[in-house]
Amino acid sequence: MNVGPGFKLTHLQAMLLFALAISIAFGFLSRRKPIERVKYIVWSLFLFLLIGVGIGWAMYPFSR
Amino acid sequence: MTGETSAPAVPQQNSRRERIAFAIGVAGWLVPGLGHALMKMWGRAVACFLTVGVLVILGAGMRGNVFNSSGNDAFDSLGYLADLGTGTFYMLARALERDGSDVSRAEGDYGTRFLATAGVLNLLAALHAYEAARGRKA
Repeated sequence: MNVGPGFKLTHLQAMLLFALAISIAFGFLSRRKPIERVKYIVWSLFLFLLIGVGIGWAMYPFSR
Repeated sequence: MTGETSAPAVPQQNSRRERIAFAIGVAGWLVPGLGHALMKMWGRAVACFLTVGVLVILGAGMRGNVFNSSGNDAFDSLGYLADLGTGTFYMLARALERDGSDVSRAEGDYGTRFLATAGVLNLLAALHAYEAARGRKA
């Protein structure tokens, strides 16, 4: 990651940051208790990454 | 007799509560997290402020497209609406992106999504604050 005039992130880094930010926001907005929030954040993050990587592999045959 | 005197007070209270809830929703839209902060929901306020802020800074840093009102098509207009969802952070994104957007690279394209997502996320948070202020379960 090169932080200069513009952030240069790899695809995976961008997806990780995006998924983490959204999962944290969803966790805090939809749950009250801290333990429930943590569970929701971890589960949401896992599903974001799983589905993101899954869609990536599903598109692989059409990439060239 | 008691019923006659107390009956008009209930709609007045509801109307006042509705106005306060609307103001809280608008505050939450203008400054991410402010709506929740006004209701002393500190965890949610900080989470909204930080997540929307991080997404805006990353999106602008990746030189994503910050749409303006003079869009050419429906997608530009929708992008503008989504970007406006960040409230005052829209100005921050414009200020951060001095060199303009560059969507010819993957980073710029991702940045555009980051900015739009920040706006939609902030609108969701503002709506959540509004509903909570109205007394709905939150």
